[in-house]
Amino acid sequence: MTRIPGGLIDRSQTLTFSFNGKRYTGHPGDTLASALLANGVHLMGRSFKYHRPRGPVSAGSEDPNALVTLRSGARAEPNTRATVAELYDGLTARSQNHVGPLGFDAMAVNDLLSPVFAAGFYYKTFMWPRAFWEKLYEPMIRRAAGLGALSGEADPDSYDRGYLHCDLLVIGAGAAGLSAALTAARAGAQVVLADEDFRLGGRLLAESDPLDGGPASDWVAEVEAELRALPNVRILTRTTVFGTYDHGIFGAVERVADHLPVPGTSVRQTLWRITAKRSVLAAGATERHIPFASNDRPGIMMAGALRAYANRWATLPVAGPQDRIAVFTNNDDGHRTALDLLAKGANLLGVIDPRADAPRFGDYQLFAGAQVTGTHGRLGLSSIEITRDGRADWLECHALGVSGGWNPNVHLASHHRGRPVWNEELQAFVPGEGGPQGLIPAGACAGRGSTSAALGDGARAAQAALSELGISAALPRLPEAEDRPLRQTAFWHVPGKARAWVDFQNDVTVKDIALAHKENMRPVEHLKRWTTLGMATDQGKTANVTALAVMAELTGKAIPETGTTIFRPPYTGVSLSVLGGGDTGKDFRPTRLTPTHHWAEAQGAAFVEVGPWLRAQYFPRPGETHWRESVDREAKAVRSAVGLCDVTTLGKIDVQGRDAGEFLNRVYSNMMGTLKVGRVRYGLMLREDGHLYDDGTCARMAEDHYVVTTTTGNAGLVYRNMEFARQCLWPELDVQIISTTDAWAQIAVAGPRSRELLSRIVDGFDLSNEAFPFMACASLSVCGGLRARLFRISFSGELAYEVAVPARYGHALMQRLMAQGADLGVTPYGTEALGVLRIEKGHAAGAELNGQTTAAMIGLGMMVSGKKDSIGAVMSRREGLAEDSRRLVGLQPVDPEAKVVPGSHLFADGTAQDMAHDQGWITSACFSPHVGSSIGLGFLEDGAARMGEVILAANPLEGSCAALRVVPPHFVDPEGERLRG
Amino acid sequence: MADLRPLTALGADTARSARFGALTLTERPDIALASLALRAGAAEPAPFGLTLPGPGGLSGSQDHAAFWTGAGQWMVLAEGRAETDFAAELRAVAPGCSVTEQTDGWAGVDITAPGADPLERLTERLVNLPPEALAPGRATRTVLHHMPVLALRHSDTRLTLFAMRSAAASLWHALETSAQRQAVS
Repeated sequence: MTRIPGGLIDRSQTLTFSFNGKRYTGHPGDTLASALLANGVHLMGRSFKYHRPRGPVSAGSEDPNALVTLRSGARAEPNTRATVAELYDGLTARSQNHVGPLGFDAMAVNDLLSPVFAAGFYYKTFMWPRAFWEKLYEPMIRRAAGLGALSGEADPDSYDRGYLHCDLLVIGAGAAGLSAALTAARAGAQVVLADEDFRLGGRLLAESDPLDGGPASDWVAEVEAELRALPNVRILTRTTVFGTYDHGIFGAVERVADHLPVPGTSVRQTLWRITAKRSVLAAGATERHIPFASNDRPGIMMAGALRAYANRWATLPVAGPQDRIAVFTNNDDGHRTALDLLAKGANLLGVIDPRADAPRFGDYQLFAGAQVTGTHGRLGLSSIEITRDGRADWLECHALGVSGGWNPNVHLASHHRGRPVWNEELQAFVPGEGGPQGLIPAGACAGRGSTSAALGDGARAAQAALSELGISAALPRLPEAEDRPLRQTAFWHVPGKARAWVDFQNDVTVKDIALAHKENMRPVEHLKRWTTLGMATDQGKTANVTALAVMAELTGKAIPETGTTIFRPPYTGVSLSVLGGGDTGKDFRPTRLTPTHHWAEAQGAAFVEVGPWLRAQYFPRPGETHWRESVDREAKAVRSAVGLCDVTTLGKIDVQGRDAGEFLNRVYSNMMGTLKVGRVRYGLMLREDGHLYDDGTCARMAEDHYVVTTTTGNAGLVYRNMEFARQCLWPELDVQIISTTDAWAQIAVAGPRSRELLSRIVDGFDLSNEAFPFMACASLSVCGGLRARLFRISFSGELAYEVAVPARYGHALMQRLMAQGADLGVTPYGTEALGVLRIEKGHAAGAELNGQTTAAMIGLGMMVSGKKDSIGAVMSRREGLAEDSRRLVGLQPVDPEAKVVPGSHLFADGTAQDMAHDQGWITSACFSPHVGSSIGLGFLEDGAARMGEVILAANPLEGSCAALRVVPPHFVDPEGERLRG
Repeated sequence: MADLRPLTALGADTARSARFGALTLTERPDIALASLALRAGAAEPAPFGLTLPGPGGLSGSQDHAAFWTGAGQWMVLAEGRAETDFAAELRAVAPGCSVTEQTDGWAGVDITAPGADPLERLTERLVNLPPEALAPGRATRTVLHHMPVLALRHSDTRLTLFAMRSAAASLWHALETSAQRQAVS
C-alpha cells in the first residue's frame, strides 16, 4: 500500500473492487488507476504490438496504456481507461491483450521479434501467396495484436439523448473554465459548463498551489456552490464535449451511470447536442513525455501525473515509502513534481534535467545537463541509467516522472477545419485563427496555463463572448494564484540506438519514425498510416507532437512546416450505443400503422414494412400452410366476389385555390384543369429530367378543390415537390396544399360484388353505373351519417371503389364492410394479392416506376400532353430518351411450370447473354391464379411489336434461364369491361 | 350520427392517460383540427374571435386556438369538437380561405405538470428547440424521434404535441420512455 496523507478521496468509506480476479479496496474519489497504484499494482496492461508490460502514464483521458475491460458479461466494456474509470463498490476489471497471466504474457514473444514488426511491417511482409492474406495472415495478425474484445452480447442498458441551447458553453471546468462560467453566470447568461471529470476543478485539483492562500479545492467548492444555485447555469460533470460541428453545435456525452455498478432505472449515458451562441474552450493541456531508451516500463509516467496521483489521489506509484522516485524534465514545471513529492515525504532520487543551466527550486539532487538513457525492470521500473558528460550511471529507481512540456488541448478548436499554429516561444501548437465560429480558447489550451493566467483568461474570454451577444459582464474578483512562466525548450527525445517509445499505445518508437523517413513516408499523413502513430483509442494525445518534432528533425524542416494531421471528432471514444440515441429494435425508427391495423392484427394478418408503414401482407386462414395459398385465395375472391384492402398509406394531398387546376396541369404530365367536378383522372408525374417518378389519381371534388393521391413511397416526395413548385416556381398561382394522408382511412372495395356491398352502407347514394360511373368521385355519408368520400377507381381491373372516412372510423368501417359482405364472399386482401391483381391487369407500380423509365415505356406516352407545358415534359422529348424503344410487355413462360423471376434480363434466343445483347429486364412477377401460371411484366426493346415472340429470361445470379412468350401486359380483361361494368 | 364506433389513434375506445412522477400524458382525441390558408387577395379572418398569430405564435380563447404553420397558413383547433365537421364550421367563418379537415391527420397528446420545470426537462430530451421557441404562447413545427410534430405550449404547465396519427404508438412510446426516465432521475 502506498497511500499517503491528504488527497481528495473520502477515506471514511471503503470500496471493494477486483482486478484480474483479485480483490482490492479504494475510496470514493479514486479512479481505478489511482486505487490500483495505491494497492501497489502498477502493471495494468500489455501493449498493442509487442505485448510490453504497461502501466498508466497519465492521470487523465489521454492515457494510452492503462486500458482495461470494465465489468463483465454483456456489460463488459473493453478499452476503458483506468485513469478515468471512477471507482465504485463492486467494480470488476480485467487487463487485455495477453495470453496467459498478465505478468507472463506468452505473446510477449512479439517483443523479441520486434525487428520484423517495424513500421509498415504488414505492408511489406505476408505478401505471398496473395490468397493467404485475407484468410490466414490478416486474421493471425489481428489475433496477435490488438486491444480489448467486445462481449458479442447485446447492450442491456438504455441510452438517452437531449438538446441544450445556451448563450455560452464552457468546455472544461478547470481554472479558466470556472472563471469563464462564473463571469457569464453572474451576467445572467444561459450557461452550460461541461467537464469530463466527475468533479469540477480540472488541474486545480491536482496541484498543491494555494488560491488566495487556501486550498484550491475550497475555491472550486465555493464557485460550484454559487453556480449550482443559479437557475441560468447547467453543470454537466462526467460529460465529454467530443466534437465541434457547424453553427455552434457541439456533441457531448454525459456518463450518467458509468460510475454505478449497474444503471438501475437510470440511463447509462446521454448524448447531448448543445447549440451554443458562443463557447469558451478551456480544455487545458496534456503533458508530453520525452522518448528515451526503454521508456515504457510501468512506473514511468508523466511528471504532472505523478504529482496528480500524489496531490489528488494520495498515492505514489511505488511499492513503499522507501522506494526511490526521480523526475526527468526539460522544463521548470517538472521541478514542481519534485517539490510536491518532497512535501509528501517521498524518497526523491533527484531531478534529471538536460538543460546545462537547469535551475533548482528546492532541496533535492539536481542532475543538470543529464539525460535518462536507459531503464531496467521486468514488470516495473527498478533502475535508470543517467548519462551526464558521457558518463553513464545506473541508479536504483522505482518510479520516474517525465516532462517534456505541455501541449495545449487544441482538438476542439481544430475540429471544424481550424488549424493549430506553432508557437515558437512555447514550443507547442496553439489554436489558430479561423477556428470554429464563436469559440474562444482560454487558459492552458490557449498556451496561457499558469493558474493566474488561466483564471484571468477564462473570465476575459467569457466577457468577450457575451459582449458579442450584447450581454455586458463584469470581471469577477479572482483569487491570488501562482503565475510561473511556462518556459519550454526544444528537447524532443534522447538520442540512442535502443527503442525509445513515442506512441505507447501503438508501439511506435523513434526508430519507426526514422524508418518511415528512410522509406520516404515523410508527410505527416503518410507517417501516421505507415507507423500507425496516433491511431486507436488515445488518438496519439501524448505522442503526436513529439512524433512531428522527431520527423522534423530528420527532414531538417521546421515543425510547423511538417504540419499536423487533421483533427476530427470524437475527442475521446464514444460508444455506438449512445450515438444511436437509445432507440433500438422495433423502436429504432417510428412505425406508421394503418387505421385498420388492430383489426388486421386480430385477423392474424402477416405484416410487411413499406417504408415506415406496416401493411397487412396477407391474411392466412386455418389450413393454409403456405403464403401462396392465402394470396391466391384473396386474389380469386376479388376477381369473383369482393375484397377489402386498406389503402390509407397512399399519399393524399388536398389542393385548393382558384388556380388549383392550372397548378396541377403543370405538375402532372397530363391535363387536370379540364377534369370535370365529380370525376377522377389517372395522372403521371415526371421528374425535371423527363423520367417518370410517380403516378396516381387526381379527383376534382369542387371547382377549386382537388384531391391528389400518390404512391405510398412517394407521398412525402410528391408533397415536397408540389410545395416547392407552389412557393418557388409559380408563386403567382393561387393554390394552397396540405397533406391529408393520415386524416382519412381509405379502403379499397374491389370485385364484381363491390357495388352491392357498398350499397349496404351508403346513406341513400345512387351507385348505379349511370349515376356513378367508372372514375367518378363524390362526398357522401355512410353508415348513418358519417361524412365520407367515394372514388370509383380500380387497381385490380375489377369493378372497384375506394371509400374514405375520418381515420378514427377506419377500424369500424372495415368491421362493418366485413359484416355486411359476409353473404357476398367478402375477403380482406393484403399487399401481396394487391400486387398479383395489378400485375394481372398490367398496371405499373414502383417496380416499373424505378426512376429510369418513361411514360412511353409503360405505354402511356400519350399522357405527356403536347398542348401544355409541365414539369419534365420538354426533357421527356429529348434526343436519346424519346427514342427509347423498350416497352412494357407481359411475359408468360412457354413451359407453364416454369417461373418468371423478377430482375432477370431479357435476351433473344441464340445471342450472347451479356450487356451488349441485353434487351430489357423483368420488373414484376407473380403466380397468377387467373392465368394459372407464373406471369411477369418487363421492359423489352421494341416490345410493342414483338407480341408472340419467345425470348429468354436469364438470371445469371441463380444460374437459371427460362423461355418466355411476349404477350400484352393485360392478362385480365384487356378491354376494361369489368371495371366499367 | 353514424352508428360506427371510433377508435382513438392509440387504438382504444377511450383516451389513454398515464402519470410519470410530475408528468401526466393524456391522449386528446377530442381536439378537432382544420387548416386555414389565405387565398390570394383574401382578408385575414378572425375565426371564432381568434387573432391569427404570426410565426411561432399560438393564440387561444376558451375553446379555440390557432397557431401559425406557414406564410398565410394556420391550424385552428377546437377542444371537444373532433366528432363534428369542424372544417365546415371553420369554412363558414373564414370566407375566401382554403380550409382542410385535419382532425384525424394527427394524434394529440397533452403533457401536463404542476410547474414549468418538469415540462422543460422533458422537452429538452425530445425536441431540438431553444426554450424560448416553446415558451408559453408559442407553437412550432419540429421533429421528435424522427417524426414531424406540432408542439403547442399553452401555458407553463401544459404542452400539446401532435404527431401523424399513424405514428401515434411511436409518439406515445417516445414520450412514455422519456417521461419515465424523468420520473426516476
